[in-house]
Amino acid sequence: MERVTVSPLFELRGISKEFPGVKALDNVSFEINAGEVHMLVGENGAGKSTLMKILCGAYRADQGSFFQNGEPVGIHGPTDARKFGIAVIFQDFTLVPYLDIAQNIFLGREFASRLPGLIDRRRIHAEAKRVLDMIGFDIDPRIPVHKLGVAQQQMVEIAKALSQDARILVMDEPTATLSDRETERLFAMIDRLKKKGVAVIYISHRLSEVFALGDRITVLRDGRKIASLLPAETTPDQLVTQMVGRPVDATYTRPSRPTAGVVVLEVKNISGPSGFSDVNLTVRAGEIVGLCGLVGSGRTEVARAIFGADRVTAGEIRLNGERIGHSAEDSARRGMALIPENRKTQGLALARSVGDNIVLAGLRKLFPSGFFVPRRALKAARAIIDKLRIATPTPRRPVATLSGGNQQKVVIGKWLNADARFYIFDEPTRGIDVGAKAEIFRLLDGLVHNGAAILMISSEQIEIVHICDRAYVMRSGRIAGELAHHELTEANIVRLGIHQ
Amino acid sequence: MSTLSLVTAPLARVPGVAIALIALCAVFAVTSPGFATPANITNILTQSTILLLLALPMTLIIMTEGLDLSIGAVLTFASIVLAITAVTTGSPTLAFLAALAVGLFFGLANGVLIAVFDIPPFITTLGTLGIAQGLSLVVTDGQSVVGIPRSIEAIYSGAVVGIPLPVILAALAYALTHTLLYHTHFGTYVFALGGNREALKVAGISVRGMLIRAYIFGGLMAGFAALLMTARLNSAHPTAGIGMEFDAIAAVAVGGTSFERGNGWLLGTLLGVMTVGVLRNGLNLLAVPSSAQVACIGALVIIALFIDGLRGEQ
Repeated sequence: MERVTVSPLFELRGISKEFPGVKALDNVSFEINAGEVHMLVGENGAGKSTLMKILCGAYRADQGSFFQNGEPVGIHGPTDARKFGIAVIFQDFTLVPYLDIAQNIFLGREFASRLPGLIDRRRIHAEAKRVLDMIGFDIDPRIPVHKLGVAQQQMVEIAKALSQDARILVMDEPTATLSDRETERLFAMIDRLKKKGVAVIYISHRLSEVFALGDRITVLRDGRKIASLLPAETTPDQLVTQMVGRPVDATYTRPSRPTAGVVVLEVKNISGPSGFSDVNLTVRAGEIVGLCGLVGSGRTEVARAIFGADRVTAGEIRLNGERIGHSAEDSARRGMALIPENRKTQGLALARSVGDNIVLAGLRKLFPSGFFVPRRALKAARAIIDKLRIATPTPRRPVATLSGGNQQKVVIGKWLNADARFYIFDEPTRGIDVGAKAEIFRLLDGLVHNGAAILMISSEQIEIVHICDRAYVMRSGRIAGELAHHELTEANIVRLGIHQ
Repeated sequence: MSTLSLVTAPLARVPGVAIALIALCAVFAVTSPGFATPANITNILTQSTILLLLALPMTLIIMTEGLDLSIGAVLTFASIVLAITAVTTGSPTLAFLAALAVGLFFGLANGVLIAVFDIPPFITTLGTLGIAQGLSLVVTDGQSVVGIPRSIEAIYSGAVVGIPLPVILAALAYALTHTLLYHTHFGTYVFALGGNREALKVAGISVRGMLIRAYIFGGLMAGFAALLMTARLNSAHPTAGIGMEFDAIAAVAVGGTSFERGNGWLLGTLLGVMTVGVLRNGLNLLAVPSSAQVACIGALVIIALFIDGLRGEQ
C-alpha cells in the first residue's frame, strides 16, 4: 500500500520512558497535524501525562525520536520544546497569583525598556491586551491573577501559550473545572485556533467531549498505544473497552434503592458571608441527593457551611434533629463527613501513609484512652483497604504514590472508619478515570444501602442524573429549584442552573 | 500608569498598617509633649534608616517564602570589618567596600545553601547568624572598635539642604528596591518564587539563580546598613546589631507582606518601618526600657496581623 507522503507537523516515534519500578511508556508513537484536535484518552496512569511531559521537555525520553515536518529534531528541555512551538496548559496552572495578567502572560519574556536592566511594563500590558483580544477575552490585563476565577485563569494560560507563537497546544482536562457556559466558550476558542492552523492535543476523561471536539483519537493503556483512530470509526463503548481493556459500563446505572428513611439533614434558610442565601434542603437516610449548578453558584460554599467549616449568619442546620453548624469538629463528632473537591490539599496528608490517613478521622473512636496503638491502627486500616479494595500493597505506602481513584477511596475510607453516617461529596470523580468512577459510585451506593445519607456535588450532570435520587440546583448562591427523581434530567438541571 | 496601579491595587489593605501608624502617632502626641516636634520627627526618620535598609531586602526574601535571620548579625560583622579596615588603612572607601564584601559573602553563602543545597531558610540563616555573631566577638574579643576617621561619622550626622544624609541614603535605597521589585526581571521573578516556582521553571528561568540573588541583595544591604550603623555609633560594637532581624521581620509583617504565595508590598514595609520607629521613639520618650519595647513590637505584629486577618475574612 502506498503511504501518504505529507509529513505531520510534529511526530514522536517509539518513545519509551521508565521510572523506578514502572514502565510509564513503552514504544509509543504519536502524530500531530496542523489544524487538528487530537484527543488523547486513557485511564489514569496510562501514560498520557508522561507523554505530554516528554513532548514539552519536562521529562526526557529513555528512547525514541522526534520529527518536525519530517526532519529529525531533539527535545532536550523546555527551551527546545518552546522553539518548536509546543506549549502545555497543565491542570495545575503555572500562574503567579500576585503578578497581573500581563506579567503572567510574558513571564520570563519581559520586554526590555530603553533603560538598561529595566523592563517595559507599558509594552507588556499593551502586548498582553493584543493577545487577549486575539482569543476574544475581554479583560483588563492589569488585574492580578489571584483575583480571577478558574476559567479566567485558564484563558490567561491559553493567552500565555499563544503569545509564545504556540503551534501545538496541549490541554490537560481543560474542562474539568469549567461550567457548561465556560466550556462552550472554550470550545469556540479551540475552533478558532484550529482555523488558524494551531494543532491541539486534548487530554480528556469525558467521552462526550472526545467525540464532539476530536478530529482524531489516540488511546493509551498501561504505557502503550492501543489505537489511533477517527471518531467516525468508533463508538463510546468501543473506546471505553479499549481504554480499560475489558468491557465496562461507561455510564453507571443506578441500582434500585430502598425507600428513603428518616430526615438526616435539615437545612433551613441558611445564609452566609461566603456567598449563599436562604438555602433550604433536606437529605434522608438511604438517599443520594445531588447539589448542582454552575461552578461558582455557591455549591461548595453551602457544603462547607453545612459541615461547619464556614460561617453561617442566618438560618439553622439540623443533623438527626439536633442543631449543628458551630464547628467542623462538632460535625465530625456527630458523624458528618465532608469529602472535599481538592483531595490533595484538603482531604489527605499526602506524605503520610495510607494507613495513617485512614485512621486520622477515627482516632477518638479507635483510641478512647488517647494513646495511639500502632497495631490496632494498622488492623483498622487493613479492614478498610480490603473493604474498599484500595490498590496498595501495604497500609504503610505514602498516599502520594497512589492513583487519583485510589486516593479518593482513602478519603472515603477515612470517614468510613470514623463511622460517619452523613456524607457530603464535593466532585467525587474529578480527575478520576472511567473504571475508578464506576467503583466510586458503587461505593456511594453501598453507603446508602447501609442507611447512610449522601449529599453529592458534581459538575457532570450526567453523573447526577445517574446516581442521585433527587437534586437541588443552585444559581447565584440560592436554590433555584428541586428536581424529584422523575424530573431529574440533564436538560432540567441546565434550565434551572442558567441565568434567564 | 503602571506604578499607579501598584499603589492603588493593594489599597484595600493599607489601613492595617496605616491605622496602626496614625493611632500610635496620635497616642504619643497626646502623652508626650516632646513627640510631635520637628526635631523629634527628624530624629525618628533618621533612626529608622538602618531598619529600613534591612527591611527592604527582607521584604523580597519573605516574598520568596524565605527568611533571613542572619541579617542583623551580618550587619554587626560588616560594621566591625568596616571599622577595622578604616582604622588600619584610613580609607573610608576601602572600609565601605570591605563591609559590602562581608555582606556579599554571607548573602551568597545563605543563597547557595538554601537554593543549591536545599537547606530550609530558617535553619540556614540561623546558622549564619551564629557564625557572623561569633566572628564579631572573636575578632574584637568583645570590645568596641574605636578611632575611626571622622569622615565616616559625618555620613550619619551630615545633612543636605536640611535633610539628614542617612534619610537621603535610605530614600535612595527605597527607590532602588522599588525599581528592582517592580521594574526588573528579577523583581518579577521574586513574585513568582513565592507564588509559583513551577511557573518560573517552565518559563526557563533559573529558580536557584533568582533565590541566590535575593539573599545576596539582603547581604549587600546589610553591608550598606553597616556604614550607617558605624557612622552613627562612631565605632563598631560586636553586639550592636543583635535583634535587628527581629525588628526587620516585624516591620515587613506589620506592613502587610504575607509569608506565603509571593504576596508582598514594598510601600507597606516602609510604613511598617515607620510604625516600629514611632513605637520605639514614643516609648523612649515615655522612658520605657528597651527590653519592654521589644515586647511592645511583638504585640504590635500580632495586633496588626490580627486586624488584617479580620479584614481579610470580610
